[in-house]
Amino acid sequence: MARHKISSAALLIGAAMSVASAVSAETFRWAGTTDPQTMDPHAVNAAPVLSFLNNVYEGLVRRNGEMAVEPSLATSWEPLPEGAGWRFMLREGVTFHDGAEFNADDVLFSYERAVSETSDVKSWFASVTAVEKVDDYTVDFKTSSPNPLFPGSIANFMILDSGWAEANDATAPARESENFATRNANGTGPFRLTARDPGVETRLAPNDGWWDSLDSNVTEAVWTPIGNAATGLAALLSGEIDFISPIPLQDVEQVEGRDGFKVLSGLETRVIMLGFGHDHDTLKYSDETTDKNPFQDPRVRLSVAQAVDVATIDRVIMRGASEPASQLLPEGLSGWSEAHPDRPAFDADAAKAMLEEAGYPDGFSFGLMCPNDRYINDEALCRAVASMLAKIGVTAKVNAMPVRGYWDELRADNFDMYLLGWSPGTFDAEHPIRFLAHTPGERLGTWNFGGYSNARIDELLEPIQSEVDPAARQAMIDEVAGILQDEVAYVPLYTQPLIWAMKDSVDVVQRPDNFFLLRWVSVN
Amino acid sequence: MLAKIRESEALWLFRRSPAAMLAALIAVVIITAAVLAPWIAPTNPYDLSSFSLIDGLLPPVWQDGGDPRFLLGTDDQGRDMLSSILYGARLSLAIAGMAMAVALVLGVGLGLAAGYFGGRFDAIVMRIADIQLALPAILTALLIDGISRGILPRELHDDLRLGVITLAIALSLWVNFARTARASVFVERSKDYVQAAIMMGQHPLRIMLRHILPNILGPLLVIATVDLASAILLEATLSFLGVGLPADSPSLGTLIRIGMQYLLSGEWWILWIPTIFLVVLVVSINLLGDFLRDLFNPGLR
Repeated sequence: MARHKISSAALLIGAAMSVASAVSAETFRWAGTTDPQTMDPHAVNAAPVLSFLNNVYEGLVRRNGEMAVEPSLATSWEPLPEGAGWRFMLREGVTFHDGAEFNADDVLFSYERAVSETSDVKSWFASVTAVEKVDDYTVDFKTSSPNPLFPGSIANFMILDSGWAEANDATAPARESENFATRNANGTGPFRLTARDPGVETRLAPNDGWWDSLDSNVTEAVWTPIGNAATGLAALLSGEIDFISPIPLQDVEQVEGRDGFKVLSGLETRVIMLGFGHDHDTLKYSDETTDKNPFQDPRVRLSVAQAVDVATIDRVIMRGASEPASQLLPEGLSGWSEAHPDRPAFDADAAKAMLEEAGYPDGFSFGLMCPNDRYINDEALCRAVASMLAKIGVTAKVNAMPVRGYWDELRADNFDMYLLGWSPGTFDAEHPIRFLAHTPGERLGTWNFGGYSNARIDELLEPIQSEVDPAARQAMIDEVAGILQDEVAYVPLYTQPLIWAMKDSVDVVQRPDNFFLLRWVSVN
Repeated sequence: MLAKIRESEALWLFRRSPAAMLAALIAVVIITAAVLAPWIAPTNPYDLSSFSLIDGLLPPVWQDGGDPRFLLGTDDQGRDMLSSILYGARLSLAIAGMAMAVALVLGVGLGLAAGYFGGRFDAIVMRIADIQLALPAILTALLIDGISRGILPRELHDDLRLGVITLAIALSLWVNFARTARASVFVERSKDYVQAAIMMGQHPLRIMLRHILPNILGPLLVIATVDLASAILLEATLSFLGVGLPADSPSLGTLIRIGMQYLLSGEWWILWIPTIFLVVLVVSINLLGDFLRDLFNPGLR
């Protein structure tokens, strides 16, 4: 099973870094299962949206193919004295796709927009107290306490043009409705949006005025969402598209064996886990247990963790390509707790005994919410989990639905248990604590759908963010990881594999966060 | 007396038609097996605790790696394919049978009335039928499913799913019955025995049901048989498109949809076995339908 490690995945880079010298016109067609729900970079904090928009918009900093932070719209940054925040020196002479100039006002405007009521990315700025313009090309981000990781944590904070947003009445992100920025985009990035037909096709063309040099010979890029993975694979093999991610795991072998095609695989930095409705007083979808919520009892949550046979899921559903997970982030990432490396061993008898001890000798029934087009084999996974839970007498009623409406259902508390995949955007253990473990609030715990709450974790988050000494910081992270495991706040299952398939003639860079960036694509 | 001759004639014809005999045999075996699924299937594929992921993706017994416990192999969840198919066929046949029955009652009722009364009622019914005929059956079914999805709350829709699909299929099949019934009524109406019954002052309902209906049963039976096959296919199509039954209570169409994912990867049995099963079932029912048509329509012999 232990075939890949994150570190090696990060190094799995195509020969794309070579400077593209070809000048011929190249249309590049790529496909995936999930269409980005919106073109608004502040409306949905989800990988399909952020990955796509990283081609169009840019942040102050960005990550390279090895995930290291490098300058983007900011040329340099430095901490303010006494840990009061960070100063960013902005790049001069950058223009948006519509020709407007980029300056400090756009950063201020984008910040206000990103922390506004309808923004989904507020938690990126949880520690920020104010953003101040020093001059036209210098901006200070003031933080409540020292935050050494701050620059890397805002790599996906994308900058909009204030004038464009105002002119088009899109000064606030539209989350449940639509506004101009939902279907249109005006960034500074290497590609500009030329046509957008949601769910059907999206076209991009290179931005000739881009400030950086483009390592790509693509002259037009066409994105098509293909919901059915087998259909997508057929499209690749028939030559209709040049690239697709992911392909069904069962088909990797045969694509690799074909002339003219290749597969890049590794581990995504995404942990697939089960979440519980901690703050629900009753089960919503139970047939018989309607007066209480068994998942509030940690023993019941532990028995769920013990009942799920991750090794078999890996062998049959993930074809040996996944890696078991014990924490909310994959092994090998910064802050991963060496002190808590093990997930509860699979033991159906112990799980059944634990359930009896908790007062449910005959089990109970509940609703398991699950997306069916978001993670690799997500629906099959949920059905397998349901079948494994049935062995300990617990009946999971699986409700598998497209991701389009999935997050809204979770936000509306329409679940007893749910499936979630989490990729820490900062590649650090603090990220899942902030999003998934902290008590839900205005800016923190924003993806903690089940309302898990632990006072000690809430208390530790800020020191973790501001601690400069790595050992002291790790000790606090270890404590949080221990609490999360002891209380079985989530049941981490495995780290999801990353499977990209493409024509032999295509060179790409595979970033372990599964972001697909056109600026590294060349077609030979 | 007449019925007796018919019967023996039917038997005689049947014996001389190997295709009809084979089709009848297959259809009877499949339908019996499907009806008896809970008693003869090795496992219950709807009972989550009866199968295990550990047995996932095993090939049929005759292939390397097959397991004697699973005659036709297992799917990606470790469900026994044979049991899934038997239960799936049971569900498919139940839906198709119910839909056909609803279509039969609705179609024959409207057709009889339209043919008997004629006039404005006939015009209205037949124009509706014409409109219905202009819409492909699958579109009608999709439309009904879509509308019900829109107006019913999700939980209720899930509960009523079986009913919605049955209705969707029934509403796309009733026209054939109505047209045939109406046309037959036109022929029968002018015959002496009906005229006699009218002159005796019998109630129209009695005339329709007691005098006319028995005499047009032949063609209706043919249509019912052929439509049963169409209904099975329609249900499979709907489930294949994902608007039919969910994956945890699979009908044949759902099984084929799941199997599609393994079309290219070498796990052929997940797709091919339910597909072949469906084709054999539909062809045998259609052959029976053909035979019945020949029987009731001596001119075609």
